[in-house]
Amino acid sequence: MTPAHVRAQIAQPGEVLADGASGPIEFSFGGRRFRIHAVLSRWCEAGGWWNRISDGNFHPDDQARAVWKVEATPIGTVQTFELERDDLTGVWIIKSI
Amino acid sequence: MSFIHLHTASAFSLKYGTTQPADLVERASQLEAPALALTDRDGLLGAIRFTKACLEYGIAPIIGVNLAINLHDNHTAQEKKLPRLTLIAGSDGGWRDLVRLMSSLNLSTGAPVLTLDFLERFSQYTENLYVLHGLDSPMAPAIAAHRNDSALAIFNKTRDFFKAHAIECVSHLAKGDGPGSITHAGRSLIFARDHDIDAVITNAVRMRGPEDGPVADILDCARQLVPLHPRHIGRTNAEAYLKSTPAMHALADEIARAGGERNARALLSTTRAWAEQTLLSPTRDIGLGSIHLPEAHVVGAESAQQMRALLRQRSEAKINWRYNGTQAVKSARERLDDELAIVATLGYESYFLTVADIADMARERGIRVSARGSGAGSLICHLLGISGVDPLAHGLLMERFCSPLRRALPDIDIDVESHRRLEIYDLVFKKYGDPRWDIPGNQSRCATVASFDTYRTRQSIRDAGAALGLPAAEINLIAKSPYGLRENNVKTPLAKMVITMARRLEGLPRHLSMHPCAVVLSDGGLLDRVPLQRNASGYPMVEFDKDDVEDIGLLKLDILGVRMQSSISYALTEISRVHKEEIDIDAISLDDPHTYELIQSTKTIGIFQIESPGQRELVGKLEPQTFTDLIIDISLFRPGPVKSDMISPFLKSRHGWSARKIIHPDLYEILRDTEGVVVFHEQVISIIATMTHCSLAHADEMRRALGNREGQQRVCDWFYPAATEHGYALEVINEVWEVLRAFASFGFCKAHAAAFAFPTYQSAWLKTHYPAAFLAGVLTHDPGMYPKRLILDEVRQMGIAIAPLDVNYSDQSYRVEITEDGTQSIRIALSTLNGVSADEIQNIIASRPYKDVADFYYRSGASQPVIESLILTGAFDRLHGIVKGGPLNRRDLLLHLSDLTKGPTMSSALRSQMTLGFDAPALESSGLPDLQSNEIVAHEVQRLGMDITHHMLEFYSHFLNSIGAIKSSDLLSVRSASTVLVAGVRVSIQTPPVRSGKRVIFLTLNDGHGCSDATFFSDIASEYLSTIYTSELVLLRGVTRRTGARGISIRATGIWDLRAAYEKWNTQRSTLAI
Repeated sequence: MTPAHVRAQIAQPGEVLADGASGPIEFSFGGRRFRIHAVLSRWCEAGGWWNRISDGNFHPDDQARAVWKVEATPIGTVQTFELERDDLTGVWIIKSI
Repeated sequence: MSFIHLHTASAFSLKYGTTQPADLVERASQLEAPALALTDRDGLLGAIRFTKACLEYGIAPIIGVNLAINLHDNHTAQEKKLPRLTLIAGSDGGWRDLVRLMSSLNLSTGAPVLTLDFLERFSQYTENLYVLHGLDSPMAPAIAAHRNDSALAIFNKTRDFFKAHAIECVSHLAKGDGPGSITHAGRSLIFARDHDIDAVITNAVRMRGPEDGPVADILDCARQLVPLHPRHIGRTNAEAYLKSTPAMHALADEIARAGGERNARALLSTTRAWAEQTLLSPTRDIGLGSIHLPEAHVVGAESAQQMRALLRQRSEAKINWRYNGTQAVKSARERLDDELAIVATLGYESYFLTVADIADMARERGIRVSARGSGAGSLICHLLGISGVDPLAHGLLMERFCSPLRRALPDIDIDVESHRRLEIYDLVFKKYGDPRWDIPGNQSRCATVASFDTYRTRQSIRDAGAALGLPAAEINLIAKSPYGLRENNVKTPLAKMVITMARRLEGLPRHLSMHPCAVVLSDGGLLDRVPLQRNASGYPMVEFDKDDVEDIGLLKLDILGVRMQSSISYALTEISRVHKEEIDIDAISLDDPHTYELIQSTKTIGIFQIESPGQRELVGKLEPQTFTDLIIDISLFRPGPVKSDMISPFLKSRHGWSARKIIHPDLYEILRDTEGVVVFHEQVISIIATMTHCSLAHADEMRRALGNREGQQRVCDWFYPAATEHGYALEVINEVWEVLRAFASFGFCKAHAAAFAFPTYQSAWLKTHYPAAFLAGVLTHDPGMYPKRLILDEVRQMGIAIAPLDVNYSDQSYRVEITEDGTQSIRIALSTLNGVSADEIQNIIASRPYKDVADFYYRSGASQPVIESLILTGAFDRLHGIVKGGPLNRRDLLLHLSDLTKGPTMSSALRSQMTLGFDAPALESSGLPDLQSNEIVAHEVQRLGMDITHHMLEFYSHFLNSIGAIKSSDLLSVRSASTVLVAGVRVSIQTPPVRSGKRVIFLTLNDGHGCSDATFFSDIASEYLSTIYTSELVLLRGVTRRTGARGISIRATGIWDLRAAYEKWNTQRSTLAI
C-alpha cells in the first residue's frame, strides 16, 4: 500500500523504465512498481529561469521539463479473469486465469 | 525527406525573434533542409539578407510575413492583442505582390494591420499569396473552445482572398488543450479535414535553438515594457525552435494520431507541396545581383544608344571649358574615351546622367553641391559638374571608383548645404517619385533608405536590466560605465545576469530608422521590388538598409548635408553684399601662396577638416605647400596611418632628416609626391599595374584582395611570377611586396581625400582673403567642432572687431559690417539670444528702426524676457547712448521696461496699434550703480552662450600674472621641454586614435589670446579625469614640446579648476603647491 502522505518523490537511478523517445513505461512510487497503461497528455515546460539567478551563470535549457500525465496501476494488481454468464439461468461464473 | 519549415521568425521580427536570418539559414543547412521560410512579423526587413544567406548555403528561400489582422473593422482592439495570419509569397509573382501589399498597407493604413476593407481594396495583391492560419490566427481560440462552427465563420471571412489557405498544425508541447498543445494541433487537423481545407505542420519558429529561450523572454519584456513574469512572456517552454527532420516527423505523427489519422503521411506531404509552391529564386524573384537604373526617357534620351551619345556629348562639351592647351585637352579626351568605354561595358550611362541631373537641379536652385568619395576619381563626374576636383591633375583613377571587373554599382556621395538638404530631396522626389500610394499598380523611382538600429551595449543593458528588475540607478551606473570599468560596478548575481543577457542581445536589430542621407533611385519597377513605408519626415522609405538595396541593384545616392558648404555659401553672399564681388569659389586657383601660408601658420580654426588640435599639430609639422600636400595631410590623419606610423617616415623624408627611399626607378613617379611612402589606394593600384603590366581594373581587384589573409596569399602567388616576368629582381619584388602587404589595408582612397581637400582649400582661401565674411558664415552655420565663443575669439585674433548685439542692426544671422574707414566687424546675430523664437526675430526685423526701448516694447512684438535679455546684453546701449560712467545705465533701462509693463496690459498685436495712444513712462536715471563688468559677462554667457565684451579669463589676470601663467600667444617663445602653467576655457576634448593604442586625451584651452593644446597620457588622465571633463575654466601645468616651426604642444602633468585655485590663492595668498 502506498503511504498516504507520499505525494511526490525523486526517482532513484533506474527506477523509471523508459523507451527512448516515446517516454516512460514503468516506474516505482511509494515502494511499489507501477505500469503505465495510457498517456493522457504530455507537454514540456521551461522558463522561470529568472527566479533561479544565484551566481549569474546559468544554462537556460537545463531547467526544461518534459511532463507525462499517465494512468498507471501497481504491477501485480492487474489480473486477467474470464466472466461467464449462463444465458438460461443468468448465473455468473468467474474464473481466474 | 527533409522537413521544410514554413513559419520562421528571425530577429527582424523586432523584439520578438532571437536569431539573425543568416544564423537560421546556417542551422537549416546543418539540418539538411532544402528550403527555409522567413515569415517575420510586420515586415520584410530581413528578406534580402535572408535570401543572400540562402544563396550562400544553397538553400531555396521562401518568404512571407506574419501580420496582425483586425476582422472587426473597429479600431478599439489593441494591436498587440490582435490575431495574426502568415502570408507567404507564391513562386509565380508572389514576391512582387507581397512587396506591393506591404507598401500599400504601410502607406495607406499607417500600421501593418490587415483589415477586410484593406483586403478588398487591394485584393489584386493577394492573388499570389498563400495564407497559414496558425496558433495566433483569429480562429484558433474558437477551435480550442470546441466551437468549430464559429471557427468556420471566421475562416470564411478571408476565404475569398489569397491563392490558397491552410490550417497550420503546431505543437509546442504546451500544457493543456489551448493553442500550442498537441490536443489543439490535433483538433485543428480535424477541423481542416472536416471542411476540406489544407493542413500543414509548422513549428512557428522564433528561435534557433532551445537555448535562446531567455533571450526571447527579454525581448518580450522589452517590446511590452514590462518586467519578467510568466504573464508577460509568450512561451511556456523552449520548443519554438528550428527542429530537426526526425523531431518534426515525430511531432507530425503525434499530431496526426491526436487528429484521428493513422500516420502523418498526408500532413507531411501537404506541407511539402506548400513549400514547393512557394519557393523563390534569389535572382529572378528577389533580384539579387541585378541592376535597375532609371530608364532612358527619364534622363532625357529615347534609347540606350541615345543615352550613350548624350553622356558623351555632355562630357565632351565641358572639356574645353575645364582644360586649356592642346596637350591637356588631348589627354583629357583620351581619358574620357577610356571612361566612356568602361561605362558602356557596364551599362551605367543612366547612373551618371541621373546623378548629374540631380547635381544640376540643385545648382539651378543655387545650392552648393560637391561630390565626395571615390567618384572624384572619374573625369566624367568632373566634366558633368558632379565633382570639383580635376582627376587628371591629381592622379585619380576611374578604376578605383567603377571597374568593369566589379559588377556592383559605384558609390557617389554628394555634399550639399546642410540647411537646404531637404529642398534637394523635394526636387528629387518630385521628378522621380510618385505620391499616389492608394492607387494599385502605381510607379515610383525613388525612396529614402532605412537603417536598422541594433542593440549596442548600453541599450541592451538597459533592456535586460529593466526586464530583470535591476534598480534604475544601478542600470544607469552599469550602462554608463566606460568599457573596462563596467565589471567594477557589477557585484550582485542579478547584475551579472543582466550583463550576461545584455551580451546576448547585442547586435540584434531593435528599431527601424531612416538612413540619414541615402536616397535610392531605380527604374519604374521600384515598387515591385521593395516594400516602402513613410518615414518620420514624410518621405517614402525602403524597408531595407543600404547594403540590402545595393544587393538588389538600386542606385544609392548619399545626399549629405554639410554645414561647411552652408558656411561657404553664406560667406559668398556676404562678400557679394558687402564687397560687391562675385566669386566663383569652385574655380579659384589651387596654388594661392597666401592660403598655404595661413594653413602653415596653424591658424586653421574654422577651416574644414583641419581645425582639430591633432590636425593643427599635423599641418604645423607637414607645412602644406600645394593642394597635393593637403590631400596627403587629410589622408594621413586617420586611425590606420597613425597606428601603422606612416606619418613619421613621411615627415622625416619631407624635412630632409632622412633620405627619401624609392625602391625602384619605375615607381618614382608614383611615389614622388608622398616621399616614397605608400599613402593612397591609387598608388597601390599603380604599383601593381606598373610592375605586372596588368590593367588598372585588375590591379584594383588585387588591391581589394590584399585586405584579407587568403586574398593576400592569392595576390602573392600571382604577383611574384608576374613581376619577375617583367624583369624585376627578386629583392625589389620582395621589398615592394612587403610594402604592399603592410600598407594596402591602411591606404586611403586619394579621390576621397581630394574631394575632402577641396572644401578644405576653399574654406582656407576664404579665411585668408575674406576672413570676416568667412567667420560670419562659420558663426551662422556652426560647421565645426568648436563652440561659438572660440570662433568669436578667432574673429578677434584675426583683427576683426565684434559689433555688439543691437536691436536696429543685428540680423537673424551674423553680418559683416564695414565702416567708412574700412575696418570690418561682425555683428552678433539676434538668433544667438537664448529663448528668442524665429518668429520673434522676424517681427523685430520687420518693424525697424526703433527709437528707444519704449518704441521697441510697443512695436517689436518681443516678449518681456527677450527684451530684458536684449537690455542686459547691450542691444539698446547705442540707442540710449549708454557708456561706462554715463548718465544712464542698463539697470535704468530694466527699470524703465518694468514701468512700461505696468501700463495697461495688452497683446503684442494691440501694443503695436496703440503706440500713439499712450504716453510712455519717462526714462530717467535711477541712480542705481551700473553693472560690473563681471556681471555683464555673466549675463552674456547666460543669455548668448558666450562672453563677448570681456574674456572670462580677464577676471583672473591678476592671479594668473602673479603665479606666472603664460599666455597661449607667448607659448611659441618658450623653450621646448620647459614646465609651464597655462589657463583657459575648455573648448574641446578629443580622444582620437593614437599609435600606442592607449587612451590619450587632447584638451584645447582658449585664454583670449589664442589656443593652447595639451595632451593627457593615460596615467595623468585617470588621476585628473573629473577635472578634465567637468571644469569649464582650468589651470593646467605641463611640459612643452615643439612639434614644428609653428607648433607647440603641452604634455599635461596636472590640471585644476581655475575658480577653485583662485579661491584658494585668494584666501591663503600663498604660493600654491603646483
